[in-house]
Amino acid sequence: MSQPVSPVRHVLIEGNKTYHNISEDLCSPTEKAPSKEWIIAFTLSSALLGLYTFAVIWTIWKGIGEWGANRTINWAWDITNFVWWIGIGHAGTLISAILLLFRQRWRTGVNRAAEAMTIFAVMCAGQFPLIHMGRLWLAFFIFPFPNTRGPLWVNFNSPLLWDVFAISTYFSVSLLFWYTGLVPDLATVRDRAVGFRKKMYEKFSFGWTGSAKHWQRWESLSLILAGISTPLVLSVHTIVSFDFATSVIPGWHTTIFPPYFVAGAIFSGFAMVQTLMVITRKVLKLEDYITINHIDSMNKVIVLTGTIVGVAYLTELFIAWYSGYIYEQFAFYNRVFGVYWWSYFGMMFCNVVSPQLFWSRKIRRSIWWTFFLSIVVNIGMWFERFVIIATTLARDYLPSSWSYYSPTWVEISLFTGTIGLFFTLFLIFTRVAPVVAIAEVKAILKVAGDQFIGPNAKKAHEHASQSSEKQEKH
Amino acid sequence: MINMHHDNGIWVSTEDLNREESFLQSAEKEFSVENMAETDGQWAASRRDFLKLMGFGLGAATLAASCEIPVKKAIPYVTKPDSIVPGVANYFASSFVNGSDYCSILVKTREGRPIKIEGNSLSSITAGGTSARAQAMVLSLYDTRRIQSAGTVENGAVSKLSWQDLDNKVKGQLQLGGNIRLITNTIISPTAKKALAEFTAKYPNTRVVSYDPVSSAALLAANEQCFGIRGIPSYKFGEADVILSFDADFLGTWVSPIEFARAYASKRKIKSVQGATMSRHYQVESHVSLSGSNADTRIQIKPSEMGAAICALHNEVAALTGGSSISGPALSDKAKAALKKAAADLVTARGKSLVVCGSNNVMEQVIVNKINDLLGNINTTIDFSVLNNTRQGDERDMARLIGEMNAGQVALAIVWGANPAYELPNADKFKEAFAKVNTRISFSGVMDETTALCSHAAPAHHQLEAWGDAEPKTGHYSLIQPTIAPLFDTRQAEHSLLEWAESANLNRDDEQPYYQYLKSHWANDLRAMQSKYNTGAAFWDMSLHDGVFENPAGPRTVAFNSGVSLNSAGVTQPASGAVEISFYETVNIGNGQYAHNPWLQEMPDPVNRTVWGNYLCVPIEWDGNKKMNGWMNLNDGDNVEVEVNGKKLTCTVVRTFGQAPGTVSIALGGGRESGGCGVGYGVNVNPWLPMEGGMIQYFAKAAKVEATGTVDKHFACVQHHHTMGLAATDAKGNTINADEQVLAYQGSLTDRSVIFQANLKELPKLAEKLAEFHQHSDHLNTQTLYQDNVEYFAAGVKWGMYVDLNSCIGCGACQVACVSENNVPVVGKKEVARHHEMTWLRIDRYFYGDLENPKVVYQPMMCQHCDNAPCENVCPVNATNHSMEGLNQMAYNRCIGTRYCANNCPYKVRRFNWLDYTTADTWPANEERLFRVDGADVPFYADNLVRMVMNPDVTVRSRGVIEKCSFCIQRIQEGKLTAKKENRAILDNDVRSACQTACPTGAIVFGNLNNPDSAVNKAAAGVGDLAYQVLEEINVRPGVKYSAKIHNS
Repeated sequence: MSQPVSPVRHVLIEGNKTYHNISEDLCSPTEKAPSKEWIIAFTLSSALLGLYTFAVIWTIWKGIGEWGANRTINWAWDITNFVWWIGIGHAGTLISAILLLFRQRWRTGVNRAAEAMTIFAVMCAGQFPLIHMGRLWLAFFIFPFPNTRGPLWVNFNSPLLWDVFAISTYFSVSLLFWYTGLVPDLATVRDRAVGFRKKMYEKFSFGWTGSAKHWQRWESLSLILAGISTPLVLSVHTIVSFDFATSVIPGWHTTIFPPYFVAGAIFSGFAMVQTLMVITRKVLKLEDYITINHIDSMNKVIVLTGTIVGVAYLTELFIAWYSGYIYEQFAFYNRVFGVYWWSYFGMMFCNVVSPQLFWSRKIRRSIWWTFFLSIVVNIGMWFERFVIIATTLARDYLPSSWSYYSPTWVEISLFTGTIGLFFTLFLIFTRVAPVVAIAEVKAILKVAGDQFIGPNAKKAHEHASQSSEKQEKH
Repeated sequence: MINMHHDNGIWVSTEDLNREESFLQSAEKEFSVENMAETDGQWAASRRDFLKLMGFGLGAATLAASCEIPVKKAIPYVTKPDSIVPGVANYFASSFVNGSDYCSILVKTREGRPIKIEGNSLSSITAGGTSARAQAMVLSLYDTRRIQSAGTVENGAVSKLSWQDLDNKVKGQLQLGGNIRLITNTIISPTAKKALAEFTAKYPNTRVVSYDPVSSAALLAANEQCFGIRGIPSYKFGEADVILSFDADFLGTWVSPIEFARAYASKRKIKSVQGATMSRHYQVESHVSLSGSNADTRIQIKPSEMGAAICALHNEVAALTGGSSISGPALSDKAKAALKKAAADLVTARGKSLVVCGSNNVMEQVIVNKINDLLGNINTTIDFSVLNNTRQGDERDMARLIGEMNAGQVALAIVWGANPAYELPNADKFKEAFAKVNTRISFSGVMDETTALCSHAAPAHHQLEAWGDAEPKTGHYSLIQPTIAPLFDTRQAEHSLLEWAESANLNRDDEQPYYQYLKSHWANDLRAMQSKYNTGAAFWDMSLHDGVFENPAGPRTVAFNSGVSLNSAGVTQPASGAVEISFYETVNIGNGQYAHNPWLQEMPDPVNRTVWGNYLCVPIEWDGNKKMNGWMNLNDGDNVEVEVNGKKLTCTVVRTFGQAPGTVSIALGGGRESGGCGVGYGVNVNPWLPMEGGMIQYFAKAAKVEATGTVDKHFACVQHHHTMGLAATDAKGNTINADEQVLAYQGSLTDRSVIFQANLKELPKLAEKLAEFHQHSDHLNTQTLYQDNVEYFAAGVKWGMYVDLNSCIGCGACQVACVSENNVPVVGKKEVARHHEMTWLRIDRYFYGDLENPKVVYQPMMCQHCDNAPCENVCPVNATNHSMEGLNQMAYNRCIGTRYCANNCPYKVRRFNWLDYTTADTWPANEERLFRVDGADVPFYADNLVRMVMNPDVTVRSRGVIEKCSFCIQRIQEGKLTAKKENRAILDNDVRSACQTACPTGAIVFGNLNNPDSAVNKAAAGVGDLAYQVLEEINVRPGVKYSAKIHNS
């Protein structure tokens, strides 16, 4: 290792990179023909997207009655999926904004992809509040705008309306933040491109020249957006939790929901980042940028948030008992031992027990364990939302109305379909924009003279591919 | 024509101006079809034709596609009839008579269409009450499968004949002189009987053969033996302090349930906590009937032990009253002890007690008569001065008829109202014999199983199109008047008979000949019975207005014929070992007569809460530890093969609390084979009914049940959970709360503030407990950051409801009335199985008490119109909001269908239109196809005929919106307008909700809570602390109050 190495902190970028190497490595996926893996992945995910489109059209054409929801359990997979995707969409902003403010420089390796993930996840999440409506074509009723329908206005008391604002704000700020970060990198791609591509990237990079004034404004905007995003990380899922917390249904009506939902969201967001990064770094050969140290750090966040979530689950049970309120007690008794007991135990195992493995440094730094456990956590977080929504509704106040829910093929298609939507978008993203923030990574590259002179010196214009071949030989 | 151009000075071309030959020729042909070239039968389209057609096609398609709502024709009156004001309903007094059912009704018509049935409070029999069956009759008027003309019947279809042709054919056959038989249910119409008499006079070889869909032949025979009267007396449930019923479902189906329910409930209402009294009700039965579910004590026996139980009660009563005992078959000690206690109660209330029996065994009925005689009930609670005429049939007559037909002695048979090919246990034999009759004529309005076997159909009007009368009880006359012109080319059955009899009294030139015939009978014969009206016209007008004319006979006392000997050998002998099965009539389907009525099919069975079919009820067993198991470990929805009398049928199981151990039961009326939408639902169990002494027995002593391992995928039951704190015995013999022991099955923590119940003896204690609960709730509900919103409702009107759970018997009349009033869609079995039912008002049923023989409480549950409604604040678009009058309102047009309101409703009364149940949508692809019209499957309400039943005052909801009980806001609006027009404050009687008017027992009271004198306030105040709100402590502030359920055991 030729870079200046601190005895305390490991380097953030491995592989003895030069600035040029970085440009080469990170721009090349947008320039090369797609790999076989990419084509297979894209085919699969766009097929799922096709299935999604079909299921959406089916739902709209035939009616919500094509789902398994019923008079008692009016929300089921639809809102479960919504909350799940929104939760996943939390890691991006957290990494970009909060970690930026905390000066966590390791975030540069993953922030771009995590932000992209956020945006795509929020797009997936946004599907469900729309398609779960009985009359989708009147969805514009939820926006407060001057209209000809007399004094009719939206209901500002409704958490669903707060959702509309929270999610649209979150989406627009995240999109802005993400794109702001992309501008200098798109300019880098532009500078390397020729012909039509050059023209396109010219447009997308807003004529970025890299002047000092540009950088100064760019830095200010990033900081301002980080400042705006930070409360959003906390507010979005808090407001999503209000969908439940402000109701009268025992099991929903709990004050613990806001912090519990936020922790759960970060938890599932990081898990999804791990799932994606483990694949991306392998497929796009970005192991030097998204290093095992990144994975390690993020696993630490997972074990922390997973434990917070676990404490929240236990607190809920304690408070239910302590409240002396029979409906609350029954709601939680039913969660654990009721008809959907398996989903509660699935949730407990996946979210609370499985992340504890990350206390072990060896597991934390294992690619395979990380990948496996990140999937487990994602499943667990889906179960959590299912437990909160379907289990609670299935057994509420009046026993006469108790019911059972199981999904139909339409709902299953909608869920798997949004996974298709998500991956289709993500795969397109990997082909059109640098997956790692080039400019920011360059800012944290530690450079010393021995890269240029002496035995460690590299020949000028060495190609990224060669350097990675070299890497593999080590 | 051509010249006219020039006359006008108009020409179209120089050729025209010059009058050229070629122009004249073409002008003449201008509008001729020859202009369109046709060669070899195919259109040879020119380019211009093609463009024209394209243009037209596109234009037409655009027009058709862009119209949001198809244009419906509305033709204004040239001369408006006096009686019809658009938008204002007319009410006509009439009667509902079907088989053994009778109800005096008011028919609500709008713009000439009957749309709703209300009770007629002028009748002393039904007194304004209705039943689910009566409420639903209006839908059968608009049945798409009604026979639309007279004709010959071939392969289950009618090929049309004109009435004249049919008359000629039938008269020809009648005049051949062979034996003529009329097959009917009991006829209670005096004028029809008069017409029949004319017919019989003309053709003396005619005999009328009557049977009832569910037989009371033994009761009639026993009364004839004991009292010399072959009739059913008036039972005075309202005067009985102790009631014991041997399997007679007098609240649901037996003899005169509407009348009995009202009288029964009058003795069960708690008017105040102090000094409250109630009648005491014992029910001896194996399956849980509607009456049994309301009983204070149910004594479980096997069906074959009925005789033994009756003998046992007789002996206990005899021992206490000094009668002589008889030797009866053996009975279990448990039942014996229970009967002993009952006997003591009965004897204490001598002369004010009542024993009734639904058995179809003559000796059992005789012994029951003797018991009543020993108790001194004859001439007090059992009154022979006014007889109930609704059941006079005897199935033994049918057996004789089958013999005659087999012997070829019947030349012509007329089927009127009855459906023997389905209803009889020996329907197979009937069908075989019936085929030997040369001419078979049916008056049935639909192609039922019997009509399909007939040679000729002479379809009668629906009752709402017909004239008629009824004498349900002696001296109680009731008129039937048409409320709409006949929809199809049908004719009164009585008219047909008179026509065929070539009656001189039938004025054929009149527009409505039978009307004149009926009127003359009333204006002459019936008028003579009274002295108030001197002219026939006045008497007729009064009768037609009131719908009833009551002239009960004076008191008549009877004495038990001392010559009758009680012979216990004649009673049912207990069977040993085998599983016994009983067959019962449900309040909605009867013995299949109502199976083709979708409203009734979708009305849940009150006890087991299933819809669309009949299900095998099996008992539930307690394993003494943590499990309640269905008998044979059967689960709800399992298919089983049941063999009775060597005949096998596959039935679907429903586990039912209270079903006696060792027995199963199944309702009659399933498995209809033809005639309407009920075809294919449930199984026909009539062939299983055994005959004893020629009488149909509604139980079989041996049934073999085998699991098939398959399940009914669409097992439709609206209530999965059943109990509210059942007591059972644990392994150590201690009584425990079984609900709290059962894991994952029923759930624990049963102390919910949904139902409160107590024994009459513990009434003050319950009142104390409830007072504490009210106080606690008040305390909780005032711990709020938000200001109380009560003052908003202090001014003006505040609507509210009070439901007396002690009066509610669970009969379901309110539910069907609500469906009828509010255009609530029918969704079909498959959708109900997915819990997509749309009922705005449902009747929740909970069991409590002993696990094996629990008590039942019914709770009508509708929107509670909460003043702090959780549904209102969660709607993002304000589609549901609160009115100044305390109503929780739904703006369907504003609803986008997020369903948050339904989730957040603690009472789960909000209903979402999952699919396009009403075909109100403009997208045809998403309709659930439930019914068949002209060979095509169509959704309910899709056909214009069925849509005629809709209430025009209530919006038909489209797919994707939430709906729920509106407290009949259209009625509120109407009431407010009435009060406004009369320039006065709104009164109780101005607004009565549909459920309230339908209720036979007055359990539902609706009105203005801000008026201290309103009935709703008075009723709730009367019971004091016993009145509670469901989930009072969660601060939603409901507008509906319930009273605690009290039992007297």
